[in-house]
Amino acid sequence: MNLEKYPDLLDSLAASYALGSMRGLARNRFETMAREHPGIRAAALLWQERLASLTEIQKEVTPSPNVWKRIELALELETQGATKQKPTPELPLDQSPLGLIDKAGRDVRRALVWWRSAALAGALAAVVALVMFAPWRAAPLEHQFVAVLADDQSAANLLVSFDPQQNALHLKRVGQYREAADKSLQLWALPPGAAPRSLGVLGEGRELKVTLAGRQDLAVPMLAVSLEPKGGVPSEKGPTGPVLFKGLVATF
Amino acid sequence: MMDMNDRSTDQVLIQLIERVAERDQTALKRLYELSSPRLYGLALRVVSRPELAEDVLQEAFLNVWRIAGDYRRSLSPPMAWLGLIVRSRALDLLRRRATERADESEVLDSVHHETIAGQAVDPMDSTDIGQQASALRQCLSRLEANQREVVCLAYLRDLSHGELAAQLQLPLGTVKTWIRRGLAHLRGCMARFA
Repeated sequence: MNLEKYPDLLDSLAASYALGSMRGLARNRFETMAREHPGIRAAALLWQERLASLTEIQKEVTPSPNVWKRIELALELETQGATKQKPTPELPLDQSPLGLIDKAGRDVRRALVWWRSAALAGALAAVVALVMFAPWRAAPLEHQFVAVLADDQSAANLLVSFDPQQNALHLKRVGQYREAADKSLQLWALPPGAAPRSLGVLGEGRELKVTLAGRQDLAVPMLAVSLEPKGGVPSEKGPTGPVLFKGLVATF
Repeated sequence: MMDMNDRSTDQVLIQLIERVAERDQTALKRLYELSSPRLYGLALRVVSRPELAEDVLQEAFLNVWRIAGDYRRSLSPPMAWLGLIVRSRALDLLRRRATERADESEVLDSVHHETIAGQAVDPMDSTDIGQQASALRQCLSRLEANQREVVCLAYLRDLSHGELAAQLQLPLGTVKTWIRRGLAHLRGCMARFA
């Protein structure tokens, strides 16, 4: 059947196609016909155009001013990654071996409690800038954006990027927070269903670096920063102080 | 008069997008100021939750920063182009969440409420939208509320009849009927604007 001879049917099919309610085999058949017949293709494009206007007429809602701030921070990070700026200073690392998680019940319980309190803090705030650079990924050697760690007011405090050459995380302080002289900030990976794992203790500078055992250290949904005694605590002990900042890890 | 307004708003947005393509951050900021309420409203409509909609808006604008150079080739009005970027980011986010998490029911509840409230389309006749969008809005406003809702949701969230029925807790047959009738009316109405 040549659909182009039945304009009303064609229009109806093109509208269902563009709306997305035509699915499966019918959709495949329609696409094949559209490729072969310009009239069918034109009908489909016309409806795609018309329905695209649905995106223009939704109710206006003013977003929180934080969104623009997050965009600005991410842009700054991206520009820096692209121009390769000065290396960041080294900082002391947590010596505890990564990935050795005590499976004893108390650890799991503590992890759960910690998770729960982290979740509770998160409920108060829109956590996290989850920036996905996937569709236009940076060149392999450039820094890759990992996460924005924010406090429970969702104010960004640390920008985290990954340097694949050095296999290291670069952290940049962008908030006002400074820990007291007798305290340290400690960075944790939060694997699902397991105890938090220390990635390192942060120094006092504005730009910080944490060397990873491997990229798999980033295969977690979330990173968090806790306030610990000076020098940090052993990884197997888990965080002992309050969670100050956390954020979702962007997938590469 | 209104037509003039459309064109001048479009011209401003187009110039801003072209400056963004030349790496002008001030232009991006201005573009954000002008378009973010409309685009955030859209993101909210697709993903339901403010914290997710904020993520969508952020991703979308970073995307705009990267691909503004492609705008001219798209032949689209500027708000339609921006809207498609936001919708596609929002759908990506929903798909990621659907595979990562099991808390979708939470999202669905809010979908249901919002649908009952029936506030999909901005009822205000603002002058900042193009002719086609204005025609679509007029045609949608003539549909029954139920039909309008399912048509909007099907498109904005890219849902099949079955998924819509599940989200809205309605019988599949009802959803199919509403969509069929809604689309038929819309076709008749839009044809008069062609």
